[in-house]
Amino acid sequence: MANPEHVMGVVGSYPLLIALWLLPLAGAVLCWAFGPQLKRAAGWLATAVAFAAFALTVASWGSGTQSLNGALGADQPLVRWMPGFHLGLLLDPLSLLWACIITGVGALIHLYSIGYMEGDSAFARFFAYMNFFLFAMLTLVLSDNFVGLLIGWGLVGLASYFLIGFWFYKPSAVAAARKAFVINVAGDVGIMFAIFLIVQKTGSIGFGNAFAAADTYGPTLLLAICISLFIGAAAKSAQVPLHTWLPDAMEGPTPVSALIHAATMVTAGVYLIARCAPLWSHDGNAQLLVGTIGGVTALTGAVLGMVQWDIKRILAYSTMSQIGYMIMGVGVGAYEAGVAHFFTHAFFKAQLFLGSGLIIHALANEQDVRRMGGLRKRLPFAFIAMLVGVLAICGIPGLSGSFSKDAVIQGALNHGHPWLYAVGIVTAGMTAYYMFRMLFVTFFGRYRGEIDPSELGIRHPEFAGTAAHADTGGHDSHHAPAWLMNLPVAILIVPSIFAGWLLYGGADSPWHRFFDPQFGVAAPANVPISELTTTLVTLAFVAVGILVAYLRYGTAAARESAVERLRRESVGMWPILANAFYFDVALDALFVKTSEMLGRLVSRVLDPHVVDGTVREAAIAAQGSGALVRSLQTGFVRAYAVFLAVGIACFAAFYAFHGVH
Amino acid sequence: MATSFAGVPIFDYEALASVLFFIGLAGAIARRNPLVMLMSIELMFNAANLAFIVFARAWLNNAGQIFAFLVITVAAAEAAIALAIVVVVFRSAPQVNVDDVRVLHG
Repeated sequence: MANPEHVMGVVGSYPLLIALWLLPLAGAVLCWAFGPQLKRAAGWLATAVAFAAFALTVASWGSGTQSLNGALGADQPLVRWMPGFHLGLLLDPLSLLWACIITGVGALIHLYSIGYMEGDSAFARFFAYMNFFLFAMLTLVLSDNFVGLLIGWGLVGLASYFLIGFWFYKPSAVAAARKAFVINVAGDVGIMFAIFLIVQKTGSIGFGNAFAAADTYGPTLLLAICISLFIGAAAKSAQVPLHTWLPDAMEGPTPVSALIHAATMVTAGVYLIARCAPLWSHDGNAQLLVGTIGGVTALTGAVLGMVQWDIKRILAYSTMSQIGYMIMGVGVGAYEAGVAHFFTHAFFKAQLFLGSGLIIHALANEQDVRRMGGLRKRLPFAFIAMLVGVLAICGIPGLSGSFSKDAVIQGALNHGHPWLYAVGIVTAGMTAYYMFRMLFVTFFGRYRGEIDPSELGIRHPEFAGTAAHADTGGHDSHHAPAWLMNLPVAILIVPSIFAGWLLYGGADSPWHRFFDPQFGVAAPANVPISELTTTLVTLAFVAVGILVAYLRYGTAAARESAVERLRRESVGMWPILANAFYFDVALDALFVKTSEMLGRLVSRVLDPHVVDGTVREAAIAAQGSGALVRSLQTGFVRAYAVFLAVGIACFAAFYAFHGVH
Repeated sequence: MATSFAGVPIFDYEALASVLFFIGLAGAIARRNPLVMLMSIELMFNAANLAFIVFARAWLNNAGQIFAFLVITVAAAEAAIALAIVVVVFRSAPQVNVDDVRVLHG
């Protein structure tokens, strides 16, 4: 039986959830175990599994949304462990939305991967990992308790590690995978700490019990719980200063970047905060902290996105910036807006990544935009896909990004954070700049792939995956049909444009009607600046961003002198930007260097002098006392007899003097 | 409590037992022939037995006599093992000297 307290009043079991949850695991195991036999069929199997999971999610729509006197959705108990510690699966509007994106966008990316990973020697292993990721992510969002969430949280980190380091013969990929894993585990520790605090107070791991007790925690404990949870969210969602792993994670195959490092896994932090909305709503300090960090991340990501040359790193910093928006939204209390931005971002960012994958694939793994140019005619479909994605992310009215981004920006103001409001607007302008910069440099002008890299200011030309390419037999030997990669991108264009319309209509929009039972109906806020004004101001900044990008990279003159300009910019880049604000250096100095110093201290002082010293001294003491006693054992039988006699004499003397009693 | 048996005072019996015991002890310590050492040990046993029996009579308590039987039994077992060891040592060395058995010392 479901435990209503445990899961926020949700009643009614729903066995289909178990099938939905375990299906991708079965696919992963099959692809893993029978990879050599399945060969190319592994890709189709994994894709079919992903689509089936999506179908099951859609079939669960009614169960996840029906509102039973304030009770939402369905709960499927799995394990009754001990009182307060029950594991189960929960389907409510929030988890349903996430499950839809995970399985839906995931299925499309699976399909795309069949084309993209064509000819890779570890084709089946790739799809086993991808399905495993779906399973892990579903565990994360479907769990009805903190422990299940933490298990999923760890498993997605593991899947991310597997897939970033998928081309494990590239040392950079291995280093990136390790970095991502270590930073994510640091976040896991934060969540674990929060669970300890919650269990200590409520004696339960269930979401419902934890949130029902939100009033009783007291300000200090509540803030401690929120900060601990946010450490996990920040590590997973690449928030400053734990974001440094995300750009490096682009070492993984491009579909992985699209699925894990853009659409789903990196938004787990947004999910966590939206899930724990009852906790955040009780703590203004936590809201301020998380909102501020979200804003700082949005700004930092945008600034760094403006100066990247690797197309995937541009998108990675863009992702970081957009997740900053989402965290800002859910952080300040505009949960529906933050979640909406996750929803639309999943589409257009996946589309941008898959579009960049089309380019990378066509150019034999070239990722440096300086060595691209003029691709508009050569790759018209990729250009259209990227253009729609860019327009959507910039917030051009009518496309999906505009609805959700404006909602987040307005939400920051409505919840009393004018500074975050300003940051949101400025960041929107920067977003437009770096996105159009990428578009102009990549698709306009002349193709620069044949030009000597040094003329473009590329000091250490990195032919990103060329080695991998040769090792895997090369994509050139046998091409997958083009539609395999184009179809998912074409499908994604539809929600990239239209998904935002779900937010149209203010408080009566389908989006709000869907989420109001979850987050509660927001009180009519005292709005200092109307939404229309916000949109217009944002649009003005976006227009300035596009204009600057056009003047710098888009005009006919700029296209003519592109080589010279790119060289000058590459060589003259400020060190602070080239080094990404020295976050890596700072983290290195703070944690890596101190850990190394601690390690040296242990290895040079503690280990030889204390641990080994104790053992050595004990051995010497035993040896010395042994030698002493050993000298008595002469081997002369008669000597022993003397000892015996003396011993007896001693006894006799003792009793003679003291008496027997 | 009886003070003498057959006209001989208890003290005399005990003196005899003590003398026998110390003769045995001196033999066990001083002699190097294992057979003689065994005989010396038997002498000590019997000195103890004599003391047991005298005290049993003196206190009219038969526990001492029973103890004497036990000692005789144990002495027999001890003699059997000791003689076996002596025979083994005899095989390895032409002349038996207990001090030479020291080579077994690790």
